[in-house]
Amino acid sequence: MATPTIHQPSATTATPYAGDHEVVIRTENLWKIYQMGSEQVAALRGVNLQIYRNEYVAIMGPSGSGKSTLMNLIGCLDSPTRGEYWLSGHLVSALDDDELARIRNQEIGFVFQTFNLLPRTSALHNVELPLIYSGAPPAERTERAMAALQQVDLADRVHHKPNELSGGQRQRVAIARALVNRPSIILADEPTGNLDSTTSNEIMALLEVLWERGNTIVLVTHEHDIAEHAHRVIHIRDGQVAGDTRTRRGDAVANRPPAPPA
Amino acid sequence: MGIREAIIVALGTLRAHKLRSFLTLLGVIISVCTLVAVVAMVQGVNTYVGSKIARLGSNIFSVSQFSLNEMTNPVRFMRAKETNPIIRYPDYQFLRANARLPRAIGAQTQRTGTVKHNGRALDEVNISGVTPNVLGMLAFQVANGRFLAPTDEQRRAYVAFVGPDIVTHLFGGANPLGRHILVSGQQYEIIGVATAQGDVFGQSQDNFVMIPLRTYQKIYGNQDSITLDVQARGARLLPATMDEMEMLMRVRRHLSWNEKNNFGIIGSDALMTLWHTLTGAIASVMVGVSFVFLVVGGIVIMNIMLAAVTERTQEVGTRKAVGARRSDILWQFLVESAVLSTVGGLIGVLLAYLFTLAAGALTPIPFSLPLGAVVLAVVISTLVGLFFGVYPASKAARLTPIAALHSEV
Repeated sequence: MATPTIHQPSATTATPYAGDHEVVIRTENLWKIYQMGSEQVAALRGVNLQIYRNEYVAIMGPSGSGKSTLMNLIGCLDSPTRGEYWLSGHLVSALDDDELARIRNQEIGFVFQTFNLLPRTSALHNVELPLIYSGAPPAERTERAMAALQQVDLADRVHHKPNELSGGQRQRVAIARALVNRPSIILADEPTGNLDSTTSNEIMALLEVLWERGNTIVLVTHEHDIAEHAHRVIHIRDGQVAGDTRTRRGDAVANRPPAPPA
Repeated sequence: MGIREAIIVALGTLRAHKLRSFLTLLGVIISVCTLVAVVAMVQGVNTYVGSKIARLGSNIFSVSQFSLNEMTNPVRFMRAKETNPIIRYPDYQFLRANARLPRAIGAQTQRTGTVKHNGRALDEVNISGVTPNVLGMLAFQVANGRFLAPTDEQRRAYVAFVGPDIVTHLFGGANPLGRHILVSGQQYEIIGVATAQGDVFGQSQDNFVMIPLRTYQKIYGNQDSITLDVQARGARLLPATMDEMEMLMRVRRHLSWNEKNNFGIIGSDALMTLWHTLTGAIASVMVGVSFVFLVVGGIVIMNIMLAAVTERTQEVGTRKAVGARRSDILWQFLVESAVLSTVGGLIGVLLAYLFTLAAGALTPIPFSLPLGAVVLAVVISTLVGLFFGVYPASKAARLTPIAALHSEV
């Protein structure tokens, strides 16, 4: 149930973890309790997990398992009721709204099932959005957004608006947006849920490429064959971690000689 | 997010919903248009009237039975009717005998009546009895013939100096000199015709008959109060001349130091003040009405912004997910509603400008767009947008990212 290696997190040390086993996400006894009228419903009941730099992890679980709540917490969209959440050495469970916004901006790249692009706005501008909120100057914004779009092979579609793009292209714009601020993790919530299987495979291949380039990827899904693309699967059931297994692909990667640092 | 991005986003939204934005802005457009147009109109009319009053003659004021203050307030007027005696011919003679400063003192009194000639009649004609020296104090000149002379006055002659309207209406434009008109049953020989002055607010200024004051009093009696027209020797002597006339009138009326004037002294500045009070009252009512429009316009903007927040909940969620803080979202929607409202203000100014162009072409009044009012109107419309945008914007800013992301639209 627990991961084999346990490191003591430290807020004081800049690089608390040795080698390429740096912990990016660490939760400690994470609880989330919702108040439903007079009743209290615990969506998460003490979740402990660690995700390392440049891991490719899938979080799986049936609906109602607490999987979405966990994703919201990992994505800093919400704060836990109890417990600690460390992201890249920051204790984010104690942060206020504005600080969470900054963390979302700098540390997390979201990829949503519904793409969530701004309509009537070009692909380029959509990708620039996180940079606008991080206060990058316009020239740098454009340059970095172009580079991100290049990474997802959309350099020739930068001025298209979402309604002029296919579903797969829209999701690639969203992935470019997730990449553009060089976040600690890319958090993909059912990224293929609205796509046909061919396009899904394209998107999963793209995530694989991003992983190979050194990104940490957390995939939230309820589909087994999508989860199989990851290297490690964390199962959530009844608000707790019910299993943590390495996939076949993960085995293959583990047996591979270590890649040079990204 | 900087103001530039916020404005670009706001203009993008406006473009995306042109018709809706226009309808939303109708209230602001109408109110700003009214505001600017009214100020333009009042300014134009003031300029126009100012020039007309200035043409009455320089350094001229009048002494009359009532002051302007008494004439413009019904209560004070009723009281003044009890206290202020009418000004009679002997008063005129007294002032002429004792005043040192004026260049000239004229006298006139008037009523309206019907003028007839050869079976034709003209109603509502201004019949004035004047002293010959009012020529030069009044706005007209002699176009044809001559003005009333002192001998006409002494002889109480039945002669008349007429406005051009009399000539056109009763004589068909033919030369009327030496011919006769019938006023109140008395025949008068026409000795001169005045230059045309045109209309002021649709009221012809050329519709008059002037006869010698003594003739007038012989016919109509001396119960009509006389108004004295006094011309000072120059602008610098005008105040002193007014003081002298006031002093002489008080002496003549035997007023003690603690009694108020029971007559009026009316200068062109007093007339202008009165005029400004009048137009100011009209303008303030219109400005008040336009502010009501503005509030209505603001509420409509608030309503549409609330709808926009609901419609764009998912956008808010997306923006928050990629790092927008509450203040960024607040700012975005505030700027949007301010931009919306400002655009309305600008359209309103444009409409007001077209209105002044049209009004300037159709009337003799010199309309111009008052820059101060334009700036004020645009600033106010921006403020209205900001004010009525606060609630929707704070509603958007308070959305939690999860609720916003998962809303189904």
